[in-house]
Amino acid sequence: MNMKISIIKPGMLSTVQDLGRYRYLSQAVPVSGAMDQLAHRLANKAVGNDGGLATIEFSYAEASFKAETDVLVAYSGEGAFLVFNDELMPAEKPLFFRAGSIVKFIANPVGVWTYLAVAGGWNVPDVMESKSTYLTAGFGGLSGRALRKGDVLMNNQSVSQVSEQIFDQLIKKRIIYPNWRISRESLLPQDRQTVRVVLGNEINWFDANSIISFLTKNYSIDRKSNRMGYHLSGTPLVRKVNKELLSTAVAPGVIQVTGSGDLVVLMADCQTTGGYPRIAHIAAVDLPLCAQLKPGDVIRFSEISADEAEELYFEREHDLSLITTAISLKYIKI
Amino acid sequence: MIRFLDMAEQRAYFSTDYPVNIYALSEQSVTVEFGTLISEELLSLITGFNQFLLQNPFPGLITTVPAYASLAIFFNPLIVAASDLPGKFCYDKVAQYLKNIGQTKRAESHLATDKVVIPVCYGGDFGPDILTVAKTNHLSINEVIEIHAAGLYTVFMIGFVPGFAYMGGMDTHLTTPRKAVPDAKIPAGAVGIAGTQTGIYPMETPGGWQIIGRTPLKMFDVGRPQPSLLKGGDQVTFKPIAKDEFNMMLQNEYENQHH
Repeated sequence: MNMKISIIKPGMLSTVQDLGRYRYLSQAVPVSGAMDQLAHRLANKAVGNDGGLATIEFSYAEASFKAETDVLVAYSGEGAFLVFNDELMPAEKPLFFRAGSIVKFIANPVGVWTYLAVAGGWNVPDVMESKSTYLTAGFGGLSGRALRKGDVLMNNQSVSQVSEQIFDQLIKKRIIYPNWRISRESLLPQDRQTVRVVLGNEINWFDANSIISFLTKNYSIDRKSNRMGYHLSGTPLVRKVNKELLSTAVAPGVIQVTGSGDLVVLMADCQTTGGYPRIAHIAAVDLPLCAQLKPGDVIRFSEISADEAEELYFEREHDLSLITTAISLKYIKI
Repeated sequence: MIRFLDMAEQRAYFSTDYPVNIYALSEQSVTVEFGTLISEELLSLITGFNQFLLQNPFPGLITTVPAYASLAIFFNPLIVAASDLPGKFCYDKVAQYLKNIGQTKRAESHLATDKVVIPVCYGGDFGPDILTVAKTNHLSINEVIEIHAAGLYTVFMIGFVPGFAYMGGMDTHLTTPRKAVPDAKIPAGAVGIAGTQTGIYPMETPGGWQIIGRTPLKMFDVGRPQPSLLKGGDQVTFKPIAKDEFNMMLQNEYENQHH
């Protein structure tokens, strides 16, 4: 199945991303990939894809595209809503657009990133085993750069059996979307302002009051934030140990404390190594929500154990696999 | 080849002489800390441990990241959990496997490190800070070039941006602090000095190192099987070249790209 769109308006920053590039970390190639991996995976699942296929990551709204062929797409995330013919399109559902359709993004005040998946995944070359764009070094995604007006993106034509069935169903019934949808809300915690963290290796480099501040005070997202890291403003932390940390591996979700005591949450494009002490890391299940935070948003941290974080990780993976199974069962007769 | 560690080696891996600490970096990674100082001994310990681990991976191992005094190990928790490694949580399973490597096994002592010669055109437009290095150390520009090019360097780690090699082993007569205010743009191939280390910028980035020359070689190229020209543990020497040689080599580098 051949599907194609062209970009009418690219929006603030739109790049092709998948779940990241892990095998070249020792050569200082960052992970990259979708900032909100949960939304990325749900958009994929809604069109019958494996969660790891490439999507387009849009930031905020102000974007639009034209379907150059009939297309089966889906979106998820919190930066924008999709609008077609002045009608709001539901998220986390497969959407069928006829060739020639123009689809616009309008602002979703909640978050930053929105993911557009296509049946089969967006087809850009693999660079070091990933389709993720890394802008700093200019590789991956579409020619290593952000999308521009006029760019044409095609899908990988070998689509899953589920995608084919969804496509056929929507064409036959002459509808844009089916009546089912994935419930993203059920995967998100109720209290979105509390971010669960596991304390880091250098926690004891900070004085007791600072650790208490870290776990009780409010922190807000600073304007300096980008795909590499989110800077937080709030009570600066004071160190009681003034050792130098030799640069060592870091990862998305790790919270570093800079020389001035400020917190930086490392995100998808973070460097592979860092020399700032690490007070904590964000539980993997809460990182997608953190990615959706905008400058000015306020959060608090709450401590959980590494074992709890791992249990939450497995619960989330289990829930995601149930979603895949449920969608398959709707379309594939066993 | 697997053999048992002798006592000295065991001490070297896991003893109070080399305090070893294993900790979770995230749900998908752990770090083994071998020490807290930069040294060639620690580097070869880490390189040996890393090579052994990569040749004898546990189920779910994705990749490793060596640094000055540590090695981080990234894994797929779903595969680790499903494996029959002992332990309830992934962290326990992986940490126990790593401890076993340290305590009972080790790769043969010769390490797979490469010797790499890097041609450098020193000074002039390519080395705007060479005078700073010379003045700081009461040397002439030619002496800076001679000393830098006479050294044998060891790559401690790759970090900062893809392919950036931090190299130790520089003659202390060239020690120069990094700039108080980093430059907004340092070109690809720039060879710099920061403190007692030397390094090469693989791509145009901001940076604070004192730039003394430029190499025509591509330090990072996604078209190569190993995109980074250098890797941790490599031995590096610099060979001074003139500007016309630089231009010729630069042209070759770019022609080779399209093969």
